[in-house]
Amino acid sequence: MSDIDIKRISYLAKLKLPLEKETFYANSLKDIIKWVDNLKEIDTSDVKPLHNVTESTESIRADEIKKDNSVDDVLNNAPERANNFFKVPKVVE
Amino acid sequence: MVIGLEVHAQLKTSSKLFSSSPNQFGSEPNENVNFIDSGMPGMLPVLNYGCIEKAIKTGFALDFTINKYSVFERKNYFYPDLPQGYQISQFEFPILTEGFINIDADERQKKIRIERAHLEQDAGKSIHDIDPKYSFIDLNRVGTPLLEIVSYPDLSSADEVVNYMSSLRQILMYIDVCDGNMQEGSLRADVNLSVRKPGEDLGTRCEIKNLNSFKFIRQAIEYEFQRQIEILENGGTIEQNTMLFDTSSGETRAMRSKEFSHDYRYFPDPDLLPVNITQEQIDKIKPTLEELPHEKLERYINEFKIEKNISKIIISEKDNTKVFEKMISETDVSPKVIASWLVGDIFAYVKENNFEVLDLLDRTKLIMDLLKLVSEDVISNKAGKEILPKVLSGEGNPNELVKEMGLEQVSDTSELEKIIDEALVGEDENIAKFQGGSDRVLGYFVGKCLKASKGKGNPKLINKILIEKLQK
Repeated sequence: MSDIDIKRISYLAKLKLPLEKETFYANSLKDIIKWVDNLKEIDTSDVKPLHNVTESTESIRADEIKKDNSVDDVLNNAPERANNFFKVPKVVE
Repeated sequence: MVIGLEVHAQLKTSSKLFSSSPNQFGSEPNENVNFIDSGMPGMLPVLNYGCIEKAIKTGFALDFTINKYSVFERKNYFYPDLPQGYQISQFEFPILTEGFINIDADERQKKIRIERAHLEQDAGKSIHDIDPKYSFIDLNRVGTPLLEIVSYPDLSSADEVVNYMSSLRQILMYIDVCDGNMQEGSLRADVNLSVRKPGEDLGTRCEIKNLNSFKFIRQAIEYEFQRQIEILENGGTIEQNTMLFDTSSGETRAMRSKEFSHDYRYFPDPDLLPVNITQEQIDKIKPTLEELPHEKLERYINEFKIEKNISKIIISEKDNTKVFEKMISETDVSPKVIASWLVGDIFAYVKENNFEVLDLLDRTKLIMDLLKLVSEDVISNKAGKEILPKVLSGEGNPNELVKEMGLEQVSDTSELEKIIDEALVGEDENIAKFQGGSDRVLGYFVGKCLKASKGKGNPKLINKILIEKLQK
């Protein structure tokens, strides 16, 4: 099993870990992966990959417009709003 | 230089890829956003069949293999205009694979292979320049269906890239898959560019993101090409990087380098089942495919006998062909004559007066009346051109205008004979020259007679009568 790069994982997940907790979380994740790795003992060389357990097909809808909420409904969930925009701390790429 | 292109085409559907919100440009901020688009917990995406249809049409038009089995996956990254925290895209199993386009390259056709095309969601828009500390987010574009079309690195110059992009745009517009409006971002390109010496292996590539005009594509390629050459000639190495093109300075620059490289951790979206398309569905869509640009071009040349360069101008925009085809359906004037008027004086007028080509659609009947008058020699070609602007601006119908402006052509033989007889008086020397075999004198006489008729004499008739008289 490959080592856990806990700094990278917390960065990708946008989670800030206190330094003293890093080893704890790294070990917890290692345990989880070790447990999942038990599956590797099964020989799956003849089994086709499965993308969804139900094995049924995607339900589809016709290309029609339906509006079931207002702008305000959506913006009620905004941390902050400015006119009809969501207002968030500046993020520039 | 070696270039591959990733083109993002917004699909021209009514609703979004996974939600029933309107897929519409230019609405008030956050007007077209529902709880699926805004990434509320527990909301389930439902696939829009309209997007599958558009993808299949594209499949036919670009000779793709249409995959009956495709899978939507999550591409994970955080950005404020992507509230889900992931983009739903297709990764391992895209809907279309292995297509191609033939483009013009140095007077020849070059086949550009296309690796794949897959469906995915567009992101929203962030506005950074209103407030120094905050970004403003408009999620209207979130969930807009995109078809990302990924070419092989078969392109080797800015010209080829522009030709490829414009052919692609033209085809997508012809088959009604994308409106092709690059200014509004309906069609955008990421350019992957590397350089190498002939025969060597591929160099390290840089990707220039999000170019939305032909001009910028060309500028970005030329700048990036020079930049890479300079680095290599000074003994440096190219770092693989994602670049932004600064439209004001015309330069490319690396995006702020990240602490860690991107890791999208793709995995099949558990909210969406694999897409299974049936042969019946595919067969049903095939006959709805519109005539493609190259097919139209061949038909115009072979069936209508229109010159190649004129045909090319007409087919370059689908709107042109709509107007042209309406015109030929309304008259028995030959398509060839109509075509030359259309790309000549009519387009010139449209351009000068900031008309849209489609504005011509409700004038075609009047324009055809005018061209009929010309082709039946009721008025001269020159008079036709004089009347045309008035017809196009809606000042009246051609028959009335001809009378008002006194442009009716004189085709009455006895009247013309009179004019010609007068013109020949005192021209014994020139008459002798003609009879001695000088054709040039004929032109002189025709001109003189036309002048005497104040431009209204039918030139063909004048010509005919003149020859008869001169040969006596």
